Amino acid sequence: MKKALLAVLLTGLFAVSGLAQVYDVASDTTWPPFEWADAEGNLLGFDLDVMRCIAVLQGFEINIISYDWDIIFDDVGIGRADIGASGATITDERELKVDFSAPYWTSDQAVLIRADSGLNIVTALSGGYTVGAQIETTGAGFVQGLLDDGVDVILQEYTLYPLAVLDLINGNIDAVIQDEPASQASATAEADLTVAGVIKTNENFGFFVAEGDPEGLLPLLNDGVDQLKALGAYDNLVRAYMGTDLTKVEAAWKASIGFLEEGDVVGFALNLATLANQ
Amino acid sequence: MSTIWQSLELLVTKGLPTTVLLTLGLLGAGLALGFPIAFLQVYGYRPFRWLCRGYEQLFRGIPALVLILIFHSGLARSFGILLPAFTSALIALGLRSSAYQSQIFRGAIQSVPQGQMMAARALGMSKLQAIRSIILPQALRLSIPPWTNEFSSVLKDTSLASAIGVLELTKQGTLIFTRIQFVKGVNYILVILILVALVYLVLTYMGNAGLALLERRLRIPGFEMKGKVER
Amino acid sequence: MNEQHPSRSDGAILRVEGLHKSYGDNHVLRGVSMQMRRGETVVVIGPSGTGKSTLLRCINQLSVPDRGRVWLGDREITCKKQNINCLRAEIGFVFQNFNLFTHLTALANVRIGPMKVKGLKKAAATELAMDELARVGLSDKADAYPAELSGGQQQRVSIARALAMSPQLMLFDEPTSALDPELIGEVLDVMVSLAKEGMTMLVVSHEMGFARSVSDSIIFMEGGVILEQGPPEEFFTAPKEERTRVFLSKITELYGE
Repeated sequence: MKKALLAVLLTGLFAVSGLAQVYDVASDTTWPPFEWADAEGNLLGFDLDVMRCIAVLQGFEINIISYDWDIIFDDVGIGRADIGASGATITDERELKVDFSAPYWTSDQAVLIRADSGLNIVTALSGGYTVGAQIETTGAGFVQGLLDDGVDVILQEYTLYPLAVLDLINGNIDAVIQDEPASQASATAEADLTVAGVIKTNENFGFFVAEGDPEGLLPLLNDGVDQLKALGAYDNLVRAYMGTDLTKVEAAWKASIGFLEEGDVVGFALNLATLANQ
Repeated sequence: MSTIWQSLELLVTKGLPTTVLLTLGLLGAGLALGFPIAFLQVYGYRPFRWLCRGYEQLFRGIPALVLILIFHSGLARSFGILLPAFTSALIALGLRSSAYQSQIFRGAIQSVPQGQMMAARALGMSKLQAIRSIILPQALRLSIPPWTNEFSSVLKDTSLASAIGVLELTKQGTLIFTRIQFVKGVNYILVILILVALVYLVLTYMGNAGLALLERRLRIPGFEMKGKVER
Repeated sequence: MNEQHPSRSDGAILRVEGLHKSYGDNHVLRGVSMQMRRGETVVVIGPSGTGKSTLLRCINQLSVPDRGRVWLGDREITCKKQNINCLRAEIGFVFQNFNLFTHLTALANVRIGPMKVKGLKKAAATELAMDELARVGLSDKADAYPAELSGGQQQRVSIARALAMSPQLMLFDEPTSALDPELIGEVLDVMVSLAKEGMTMLVVSHEMGFARSVSDSIIFMEGGVILEQGPPEEFFTAPKEERTRVFLSKITELYGE
């Protein structure tokens, strides 16, 4: 707590004196509940708010940039953006381009289908049906793995996750595979859709930086997450974003962001969680 | 309804400025490069002419998106040149536009009758003086109608910049309609796409109207088409 | 080439020696030599395609001759070391198709030479240009654009444009050929008065009346060479060459007397 207070104080000092380091945070902001843009263009979501809280605790500033998913690892890898915060699963392949923080979230894959399709998670993935996924995601990788094993399934890839969902609603494809929270968010929003089932993949999400971490950011990020957990703010952010209604979270976020501007990480997370769950 | 207005406001306040800035930047860069290239192609020594012709063929022959990726990702990967997305798009699409604009100006220069140059030289003007005071003012006027076309095309090309993450109109539209998919009971993706299209339409219309005004302001008797067909 | 080196004392304002010019296989000028004294008006006649216009263009180097030399006074125009722009500024050129600058008013057409080439200030150039427009009788058309003028008026403006440079020599390349018959007179009137004022003029024309009444000398060209040259009375009444006689009879049929 002392450390946090000190950090807040330091942040304040730095902000006033204009010395605070600013880092560009790249995020594919089309992926609720982890990151998206509300109706006024404010960027919010679990990843982004964790990042904002870490920034407050560690005394730097962040500038969030909306990125396309298919170039995000390349661009962070070569240093065009400083930090990637985009619900990214830690994989060996991605480790070749970027360095990941310690895992901050564990996710599974969920299969989304039309409620009236009569499919289940087994038939959807092995009955010769077309399954949509965002390009270069672990979901797409999972279906590719099935294909490689000779399973009867067709993979259709999309640059944006919502475009896959749109095609599912329109009947162009039969299922969409995606991380569980995103699939749940879609099922919550669209009455026609339902989650057919969850595949326990136990994937770890990590923030990522350029290979070799030239700016020395990973220790700050890891320490930041630890602090948030110790403060209880982390759990509140989970409570605020996971399984809640999108517009409700947006309203709660607008009502709470003032806390963060004051440097009150704990108050922000608590207020956000409370309002989002009312 | 209020959300639709909100979406439009978001498009106009957050997407539009970048689109307009990029369009103006591209037209300016294309003009600054295309004009000298056109002159070199018409009046330059042979090696210059070949060089300019090669340049023009090259940048007219590569798809705009490929050019953008070359400057944004290719240069970064191979040489460590880290251009911001906006700059990458500006350079790639600017080179493309300069190639197209050079052809507009070349056509205009070549449609100024030979006698104009001859009369200027006969007065004792140097080639450069003749180009500047006689050929250029006429070629510029002749360029406006085809240039209007290039404006419309450049404006719409800016949407390609969204591919490398420039937050302009199209990207902003994408952010809006991807969000509403997660909002319960709301589904007006088509409306958002139409809004985006409308903003482009209005921009195109305004630009064309402005250029038509310029054309009228600069109009000189004898430059317009004569002998209107009335029926 | 050295046998005809001119002396400075012979008083010729224009001297042409052995000009040759080919366009591809077409040998247009095959050794043309001539000279003019200050204040003389010389008319060049001859069938079309005999190199009359090419001769004029080779004189002010709009076309570069393959061989031969041209002097303006004692300066050699064909010499590569001469600044051709300075020499051209002293030689007025009037085109068959006027070639007025289409984007400029009559006044601006006349003014632009003195301003750009001689470096006159705008006010001085305007004054000069208005004087020249008055000289060709077009003061009231100063603000008109070429497209708003008749052919005859355009040609008069183009003469004023050349005059504004105070040339030592004026070259006229079929100045009335592109004009409707009723407009020819106004242009010829201007040329007649110029000749009377003592302007040195080399005119390619089919206007026999003008040639007969105004010129000091007539040159008949055919096949890229000068066949005959002489004062008009001699030329029209007693031409020495058979080819000249044939041409004159044809031209009389065409244009009447």
